[in-house]
Amino acid sequence: MTTNTQATSMPAVVHALTRAATDALLIELRHPDSGGRLPEARPGDHIDVRFGRHLRQYSLYSSATDGRYLICVKRERGGRGGSAALHDELRVTDIVQVSSPHNRFPPVRGTRTLLLGAGIGITPLRAMAEALWHERDRFDLWFYAPDRDSAPLLEYIATRPYADRVHLRLSTQGQSARTALPDELEHPAPDAHVYVCGPAGFMEHVRARARKAGWADEQLHQETFTLDAEASAALSEGDEFAVRVASSGETYRVPSGSSVADVLPANGVDVDLSCEQGICGACLVPVLTGIPDHRDEVLSEAERTANDRMTICCSRARTAELTLDL
Amino acid sequence: MPAELTVPRECTFDPDDWRIIARYWYPIALATEVGAAPLGVKLLDQPLVVYRTDDSRTVIANDICPHRGTPLSLGRGDARGITCAYHGFRFGAGGRCVDVPAHPQAKIPSRLHLRTYPAVERYGLIWTCLAADPDTEPDIPTHPHWDDAGFQRINCPWIDIAAFAGRQIEGFLDVAHFGFVHLKSFGNPDNPVVPDYAAAPTPDGFEVEYWSTVGNYPIGVVDRSKPGFQWLRHFRLHVPFTATLVVHFPDEGKLSIMNAASPVSARMTRMFAPICRNFDTDQPEQAVHDFNRIVFEEDRAIVEVQKPENLPLDPRLEVNVPADRSSIAYRRALRGLGLGSFFTA
Repeated sequence: MTTNTQATSMPAVVHALTRAATDALLIELRHPDSGGRLPEARPGDHIDVRFGRHLRQYSLYSSATDGRYLICVKRERGGRGGSAALHDELRVTDIVQVSSPHNRFPPVRGTRTLLLGAGIGITPLRAMAEALWHERDRFDLWFYAPDRDSAPLLEYIATRPYADRVHLRLSTQGQSARTALPDELEHPAPDAHVYVCGPAGFMEHVRARARKAGWADEQLHQETFTLDAEASAALSEGDEFAVRVASSGETYRVPSGSSVADVLPANGVDVDLSCEQGICGACLVPVLTGIPDHRDEVLSEAERTANDRMTICCSRARTAELTLDL
Repeated sequence: MPAELTVPRECTFDPDDWRIIARYWYPIALATEVGAAPLGVKLLDQPLVVYRTDDSRTVIANDICPHRGTPLSLGRGDARGITCAYHGFRFGAGGRCVDVPAHPQAKIPSRLHLRTYPAVERYGLIWTCLAADPDTEPDIPTHPHWDDAGFQRINCPWIDIAAFAGRQIEGFLDVAHFGFVHLKSFGNPDNPVVPDYAAAPTPDGFEVEYWSTVGNYPIGVVDRSKPGFQWLRHFRLHVPFTATLVVHFPDEGKLSIMNAASPVSARMTRMFAPICRNFDTDQPEQAVHDFNRIVFEEDRAIVEVQKPENLPLDPRLEVNVPADRSSIAYRRALRGLGLGSFFTA
């Protein structure tokens, strides 16, 4: 069940798009108002980005004390189409919806920090490296990629004042995570921490090696990207609207953060639910009046345009009121 | 449409559902199983007899002698056809009755000719269709890479599963069970998370490109992939009960598996699995048979105990999570055929 969520959704304008690697795009987001600032973020934070019907989470590339967000998006092969849509459709001046920053990857201050990133997994680690350098903490960043062209923002990182602490490892030159893990990983230090981000197999491999070398679980930190409950909650964010149940004539308010499927059962109206994430279609209900804001992936474009049915677990309203055939 | 499309006696499907799924092609035997002797099989509750005549043509007919209702599969066969076990009536090419031993000189009534079905040999299997349209080409799903040069073709023995074909196919398409069910074959219990994937519609079903770090090397065999290797599993579903899977191995290796679930009845499935691959092609076929057997036996243990025994097509009847996108797409595709929402079994 969705409860009142702390996450807030706000518009952000696409200020710049930069090619970060052969298949990665750097997206700079700013407050839509000139001079406006997006909420401050800490290193390791990520945000939810809603673009069209896609909702995805991305780590911030910078710690964003300057009121803007930089995210780096890799075109995912075989994903659900969110990254492809950003790559193919996003234009400078487009407006996207972003959440306030979340953190599941908080940096722990230690005497020494080992950062190991692979591919697009460099994103949060780069933000941490920047912050650690400012704090004058000891750290090293190992950056694994197949080759220079697919290492996101390599040129930029090379210009940073801590470039000498960034160690590039290219598998096309025989230096992969299997063959070239840092010696430091073999020597656990009591007050040191290891941060890993990258493909699941890379993270598993690094963690396994680190555990074997004697690092404690509390010293190992990793970032994974999945749509978690927090982001699912964001799926039901939006303007409040009213829903009228045709059979009884009763009207109920659906505030931001709640769905029709939350509100109706709470008022004794039975609804069918299954996935509660807009993927299965169990909760499709006929719409008699009003225009839905379709947020599911069940309906085809034609079915969306017809506006005569909606998934009540996640879809909202474009009109102030909807009448449902319930 | 043939004139005499009658629902079999003791049909375990809803008759309306049966008439829909009878329009599709299914394998009923390995090509190597069919010879001069009559072979009895069953498809969609219809008992069939299969034999080959001396012109190497395969005959598929109702497994019942039109004379006094004895199963023809009880009889014998030779180069001239098969004979009924009861009165020795002989049936030859095209299922035509060619001899009534009691009256060697008499005219043979036309009603003694067998009700036959078209037979097509493809991927080492004999395919048929109970309600084939004679004016259209057999619509047998494509097996990726089967005809490509450099691929070794292997036909695994079929496996009988006491479950509905839809459940078996759904198990084949499922990507969230590897680390729980396939512990003796290739699954990794420490890697249960299912990365996002999407199901894209195709003219006769859908396809899924599923990327994950779950490898496909048999347990006990050296994993030749690099850490972090992204395994692509490309699934294609052809309604109603055939699916293919191409597993992309390191170094351009491809393993292409067809899972053709032949619906014997609503509660029994004969699973055929023609496989081809472009690596280890010098290795004996038996190792592939053995590995495949372990994988499908692991699946069978689950599929045979699932309740309900049929496949609930209405999304409200079971609970869906994001890993089920294939299952959701599959059930939607079956609904699109007009099958009943509960697909009564």
